[in-house]
Amino acid sequence: MAFNSGRDSVVPGQLVWVDVHTVMTMDYLGKQCFKAFESLGTDKQLFDKERVICVSDHLVPPPTEQWATMLNEWRAIVKSYDIPNFYDLGRQGIAHQVMVEQGHVLPGKVSIGTDSHANTYGAVGAVGNAIGVTDAAIAMATGKCWFRVPETVKFYIKGTWQPWVMAKDLSLHIMGMMHWNGHLIYKSLEYCGPAIEALDMAGRMTLCNMTVDLGAKNGIIAPDEKTAAYLQPAAKGQWDFIASDDDARYDAVYEVDVTNVGPTVSRPDKLDDVVPVEQVVGTKFNKAFVGTCTNGRTEDFAIMAAILKDKQIHRDVNMICIPASTQVYLECLQKGYIETLVKAGAAFETSSCGPCAGIHTGVAGDGDIVLSAGNRNMKGRMGSKKAQIYLTSPAVVAASAVRGEITDPRTFDV
Amino acid sequence: MIKGKAWVAKTYVMSFEMIIQQYWTSPIDPVENARWVMAGVDEAFNKENGFKDFGYTFIVAGHNFAGGGKSIEHCITGLMGAGIKAVFATSFARLQFRNAINYGMPFITARDMNLGCDTGDELEYDPESGIIRNLTKATQFESVPVAPFVAEVAAEGGLMSFIRKKIADGSIADLH
Repeated sequence: MAFNSGRDSVVPGQLVWVDVHTVMTMDYLGKQCFKAFESLGTDKQLFDKERVICVSDHLVPPPTEQWATMLNEWRAIVKSYDIPNFYDLGRQGIAHQVMVEQGHVLPGKVSIGTDSHANTYGAVGAVGNAIGVTDAAIAMATGKCWFRVPETVKFYIKGTWQPWVMAKDLSLHIMGMMHWNGHLIYKSLEYCGPAIEALDMAGRMTLCNMTVDLGAKNGIIAPDEKTAAYLQPAAKGQWDFIASDDDARYDAVYEVDVTNVGPTVSRPDKLDDVVPVEQVVGTKFNKAFVGTCTNGRTEDFAIMAAILKDKQIHRDVNMICIPASTQVYLECLQKGYIETLVKAGAAFETSSCGPCAGIHTGVAGDGDIVLSAGNRNMKGRMGSKKAQIYLTSPAVVAASAVRGEITDPRTFDV
Repeated sequence: MIKGKAWVAKTYVMSFEMIIQQYWTSPIDPVENARWVMAGVDEAFNKENGFKDFGYTFIVAGHNFAGGGKSIEHCITGLMGAGIKAVFATSFARLQFRNAINYGMPFITARDMNLGCDTGDELEYDPESGIIRNLTKATQFESVPVAPFVAEVAAEGGLMSFIRKKIADGSIADLH
């Protein structure tokens, strides 16, 4: 924050205008961002058209005439500004996945987006923050965004990851520890320790992604060699390794031994109603969903393919899989995961936010019980208020889908 | 001094219930958004102008008001259009807290006030002192003071006007 606002140092609580590296907006709010931007009186001059990233993710492919028309209006306005980084149907992905995999977020820099899961960018050591149309419009004009410097809470994660345990399980475990009772609201969460260093980039993205659901301002992981290797082919711009100061002050420090974290489930309606999988084993469900900016990555489909190879999804379960981006889709295709999963009885959809926000591509109806690897399970989140959503990891979804009831992947014969 | 009736939330209020899905893509406009604001929060509000017609001036809530994600500013403009002059909560979800600041809508942190108020109570809020009095119950609450920047943005009628003015007078480069 200090570096990006031209200061030597900042203190928590201070309000500063920060230089943003990139501004992301997407199909269903994007047109409004451009219109608001145009009303500011800068003669339609974007601060840097290379750094305004436009993505079609919520509404594609359009399920209704109304949304098809809205998408056309969105495309027209993006084209009128000749935006080079426009990820539209065919080259699309969920915006947060696209921002990271295409190198639009970089360590030590601030990127903002008009969707709450912009926290994902912390996986590469960037500050990722969700903003509304107003902030996006102002940043598009000025390259700046105001921030209140947050207090930081450190999560030191030690121990060894157990088989079939994923970053999602740790994320839900922390949700259960901290609840929605204000401890983490407005805070910056820093994940560190040997179990974080051991985590691949997909896991780091899952972990940072869900910090918004903990109420935090952002989540961040210091960049290391894995980050550098991940960014190397795609990074759009220069960056340096950054780390917290040795004498950094934390509002609180929590330590979690991941050795003791098993597969974890959040029960319907309240994200923080979290239990170890053992407590819900045997619960029947009829829909399974793996996708989203939380768990729609190649590594997620890899673990599912390992579990579902030569197996069949239970007749009473409909499973929908949605890769988080076209690039992820292609990787899964090339590695054979899609073939394995389709043979097992999973349906694949083109990349989008899909039913996670209850918009389309498999929304929940009355009486549905959904086992989802998404990020939110409040009543009505995926469609009907009369549906129930259990949240968990892709490994638990895959193992459970075979039996038609929630299953501990550690007890599953792979 | 602002005076009026309060609606008190019994549980978490989620932004995607304040504005239900079919209105996420509506124009951001107080009059338009007020027609259906809060429609998903309570069955009693689930009709056109359902919330607005109750004539509340304040909302009182517990933790994580307007949480559950969604960047939609319609939550804020909807409340403004429905006549809400301030929301008091133990904590706010940061995204809508930010949106509220940008629109000059007072989202005021007042810890546990929801435990001492009921829907329909008459409240009086003094923005100068931050004191909120419950006239029905003859009690009073303190709130966390508003930051100078927040007050400045509100006085300009929101961040868009604040920035528009700075662009027009050339002082935008001084933003620091």
